[in-house]
Amino acid sequence: MGTVTEEQVRGAQLGRLERLPWRRVILIVLSVLIVSIVTIGAYKTLTLPADARYSAAAWRDFIVLGLAQGSIYALIALGYTLVYGILRMINFAHGEVFMFGAFAAFFFSDAFEASGFLDSNSVSSMAILLVVAMLTSMGVAVLLERIAYRPLRNAPRLVPLITAIGASLFLQNTARGFFGAQSKGFGVPTALEGTWTIFGLTLERTQVVVFVTVIIAVAGLSLFIARTTTGKSMRAVAADSEIASLMGIHVDRVIVTTFAIGGLLAGVAAVLFSITFQSVNFSMGFRPGIAAFTAAVLGGIGSISGAALGGITIGLMQSLGPALILTGYNVPSPFQLKDAFTFLVLVLVLIFRPGGLLGSGEAEKV
Amino acid sequence: MRHDGHLLELTGIGKHFGGLYALSGLDLYADEGEIVSVIGPNGAGKSTMFNVVTGLYPPDDGDVRFRGESIVGLAPNRITRLGISRTFQTVHLFPNMTILENAMVGQHCRSRSGVFGSVVRLPSTRREEERIRARARESLGFFGSRLAGYREEQPAFALSYANRRRLEMARALATDPVLILLDEPTAGMNPRETLELRDHIVRMRDDLGLTVLVIEHDMRVVKGVSDRVVALDYGRKIAEGTYEEVASDPQVIEAYLGTQAAG
Amino acid sequence: MIGGVARRSIVRGGLIGGVAAIYVALVGLYTKFADLELVGEQVTLGRVLIVAPALVAAYAVTRPRIVAGERRPVAFGPGVAAGAQTGAVTGAAFAAAVWFAYWFGIDRIREIFVSVTEPLIEFLTFGQGVPAGLPLLVGASVVGGAVGGFARTAPARVRDPVSIGVVAVLLLGLLQRIVPIVFVELGFEARWLYRSGSGLTLLGAALIFVVAAGASVAWDRGGERARDRVRKTVETAPAARLGLLVGILATLFVLPLLFGSVISEVLSQVMVYVLLGIGLNIVVGYAGLLDLGYVAFFAFGAYSTAVLTGAFLNTTTGAAEPALSADLNFYVAVWLVALLAAGVGLLIGAPVLRLRGDYLAIVTLGLGEIVSVITASRWAQPLIGGPQGMRGVTKAQIGGFNPQDHPQQFYYLALAFVLLALFVSWRLASSRIGRAWNAMREDEQVADAMGISIIKFKLLAFAMGGAIGSLGGALFAVNLGSLTPASFEILVSITALAVVILGGLGSLPGVVVGALVLIGLPGLLREFEEYRLLIYGGALVAIMVLRPQGLIPNVRRSRELEQEEVTQDAWAKEVTGEAEAIAAVVPGGTLGVEPEDLE
Repeated sequence: MGTVTEEQVRGAQLGRLERLPWRRVILIVLSVLIVSIVTIGAYKTLTLPADARYSAAAWRDFIVLGLAQGSIYALIALGYTLVYGILRMINFAHGEVFMFGAFAAFFFSDAFEASGFLDSNSVSSMAILLVVAMLTSMGVAVLLERIAYRPLRNAPRLVPLITAIGASLFLQNTARGFFGAQSKGFGVPTALEGTWTIFGLTLERTQVVVFVTVIIAVAGLSLFIARTTTGKSMRAVAADSEIASLMGIHVDRVIVTTFAIGGLLAGVAAVLFSITFQSVNFSMGFRPGIAAFTAAVLGGIGSISGAALGGITIGLMQSLGPALILTGYNVPSPFQLKDAFTFLVLVLVLIFRPGGLLGSGEAEKV
Repeated sequence: MRHDGHLLELTGIGKHFGGLYALSGLDLYADEGEIVSVIGPNGAGKSTMFNVVTGLYPPDDGDVRFRGESIVGLAPNRITRLGISRTFQTVHLFPNMTILENAMVGQHCRSRSGVFGSVVRLPSTRREEERIRARARESLGFFGSRLAGYREEQPAFALSYANRRRLEMARALATDPVLILLDEPTAGMNPRETLELRDHIVRMRDDLGLTVLVIEHDMRVVKGVSDRVVALDYGRKIAEGTYEEVASDPQVIEAYLGTQAAG
Repeated sequence: MIGGVARRSIVRGGLIGGVAAIYVALVGLYTKFADLELVGEQVTLGRVLIVAPALVAAYAVTRPRIVAGERRPVAFGPGVAAGAQTGAVTGAAFAAAVWFAYWFGIDRIREIFVSVTEPLIEFLTFGQGVPAGLPLLVGASVVGGAVGGFARTAPARVRDPVSIGVVAVLLLGLLQRIVPIVFVELGFEARWLYRSGSGLTLLGAALIFVVAAGASVAWDRGGERARDRVRKTVETAPAARLGLLVGILATLFVLPLLFGSVISEVLSQVMVYVLLGIGLNIVVGYAGLLDLGYVAFFAFGAYSTAVLTGAFLNTTTGAAEPALSADLNFYVAVWLVALLAAGVGLLIGAPVLRLRGDYLAIVTLGLGEIVSVITASRWAQPLIGGPQGMRGVTKAQIGGFNPQDHPQQFYYLALAFVLLALFVSWRLASSRIGRAWNAMREDEQVADAMGISIIKFKLLAFAMGGAIGSLGGALFAVNLGSLTPASFEILVSITALAVVILGGLGSLPGVVVGALVLIGLPGLLREFEEYRLLIYGGALVAIMVLRPQGLIPNVRRSRELEQEEVTQDAWAKEVTGEAEAIAAVVPGGTLGVEPEDLE
């Protein structure tokens, strides 16, 4: 048994070319490319001839729309981020948790509409819709955890991810079997139709409801996590579940609570989404789910403020992105590509800053 | 390859993780045909030094030179191909691969067959596979019959602890290294196995012509194998010399006893 | 306690069974399959589904328990009794639900659950209506439960033949579309076995049962030594293995002649997914890279084949020429497509080299979705037809061989590609490259330290997986002749993944079996088409929870998938919780740093 030959060593010696930090070079080139595409596109859009240009009102609408959508994404994103923080797994089926909440709200809303209760007692009916959606979503989330995720607590990472995908498929098609494949129109109480003018801004009433509700929800969650015992337990388990259990924290219960809270928030998001887009359908959870997940990762998965911030960002990006950048390049029907946009953002974030925008620039232990 | 200077040379190596300084201002060298032991209390930075040398992460300061050329910033697999191989403090085998396959992985960097050759089974590919297999068997055979014969086809997870350590070493030997880094190779072994391993380390130098850098806590082993001993504490070198010199160095004694007394 | 089974367990199991039965009703399976006759006129799939929840619940309830460290199976008699009791609980719950639906108003419930209809209630009460039929329902559940208990607790020499017999009957009943055709093509009469256009005859069912049960008894009786001898001969003697291989190949060649064109059509679809599965198996199974965006390669293969063979864009005004077009022969174009797809694989692989696990999955999902969205967008219309797609994929004809017009000939074309892909995959797996992939999959950092260039091998996996996947797309394009974006959605990625997982990660025979089960069965059993995705989802979850190594496990991987993360990321657990703190700041992962180093 000899040692390596001179020739082999020389073969492994480095040429000047190989000493280049390739990764950094490619990253720099990519970033330059992206920045230039974005700025050039924006410039072109903003300097279009007056008749082809978007008006100031249109931009304002884009922004408001983006914020509204983004806040809904933020609520859903919180569910992803909470579960990931505790279990280090992506609950792929969270979009379906959201969807079932929307359906539950729909059935009540439908009944209320038929009986006129929706219009006569708007506030109470909205409150009931929220409660119904929250409870349903919470139930689905807890069931998911119990049946599909708990048995796989210790499995290698591949397994729960695939299970989550399977659960997502299963739940979607269960809804399809239960409720039918057609989209159903979600009625909005007349009190919420039309617009309000606040501080000189004209906003859709539903949008105002969305903003107010999301702010309350996020504030409530933050307080809960920071101040209550359960919240502290959740943070402890997220930091280190073994030590937490040694400290007397009932880890299983905390995990169920986390799923439940994620479900609650998704239920709220479901009602808000339904009154904004006024339709429910068995596959409605997929795209918002992915957008929300992107938001959670964007903000640094595991971080609550990150999820909220990420949600707003993604919402804005979805509405402004195609408008601002793609129109300049004369891309026809740019809004068709808004999902591609979201995914592109996701891919880029994970490549450049896997820890998220608010993260350290390095990936968490994966 | 003629070069002046040491086979391996670390100059001014510093490495910190967040606010924790694992290594600072570390100078260390190893010459061809030496067995150098690296000792020091827990937390002295010994394994970190190995990781820096093998490219797991780059040092924050300083340079690592192998055969006169800097190897800082190279990927670990490149460094292995240059002729530096290692074992780990906690055993890291490929648990579901057989013993022979584990050893054959070591020869990966000394072989070249590509996709076409592998699919078509060119004669050159087949010959290379045979060579890889033979070399792997040779490496396994270094430890006698324990890892050989019918054992070859057994999955690695089925091995006893001592045999796992031996397999990891055999795998490292199979990369045809010039310099091998052993990280606490006798940890967890009983006295008989420890002494046997001590002899194996010496044979690595004498029979295989390797240069060996060993992290060890067991002073019988250190005494029995070392041409030179380097003592680290808090990430810097505190003593260097023969075993007797280092063992009687007051700073070294304080590092060990002081830690023990306090702990 | 009833015969060793706690009452609480019976009640709980029974209730879960009841919930399952209600679920089956709500999701519409009863309505759908009430009339699918399996045996004679009485044994319909719907009726089997009525007893199924009770059966499964009883099977679970009567499982052996571990009491004080000792594994105690449930005795036969008490087991059947406990099973029957479980069935009773299931039936009671189910009947209560049915009664409630009737009382509350079926039309009102249907406003929410669309499957709750009068015919459903009719069916569930065996035509007797509420409340007269409810005891029948409960009775059926009791019987089902008893059978479940029997299946679990009966002595093996009784249980095995009976179970195999029953399964064989049910299976052949389900395959009522294929088997008679095979008989007819072979020139035999089938009417004694199958009632025309329907399920098995009573005689046929009895016969199948006896044959299957008998075979089972013979196999068991044959004794272990004989079985071992057979197994060993197959595994070692080269002549035997060659013979087996030839036999399998011969069967494969002969299949379309046996099955006629409709089934060849289905088999061709299976072949496309086998190709996708083989490619994905390289990425996920060999290299351990979870790719959820595999549809990208499929789409690339299909559309580039179309473009290279001179297909046209579908527009509202007819056909148009795409911006890029060539008129190559398919058999030339396909290799170019594979080469280009390998390049695409490199493009996809390059950015994700550093990512692992969940992150890798999500990024590849994103990339796949980007491709999906773009193929359907108006932006891509000048090149690949946008929402309206393309048509006129041609040039696959050589002399008399025209796979586009003859499903059976297409099958042979697909088979050729599949065999090629299988061969390449198999050879790679047992080569130095396969070894490198294995090592990289088991422990990436250590593999790196042992001289394996991680970058190179990850890229290679993506490239090879991409090339093979694109072949699937190319075949798909040739088969259909026209392409629409609806065929290129995330579902393709998930189905391909399901095929690989169900069959067994890293197992080539598993890919074939997975495709046969997940694509072939729904293709042959048209009624299942509606529930295909539901079954996929359920199957994925069930497989992961119950048997993660798949149907035909790759022996090596089985252990990997079942073990806790002890040996894989375990070093982090060996070290104390400081691992997390270290990991937050150490870029290379915590492999190299022990907490002592930081003291």
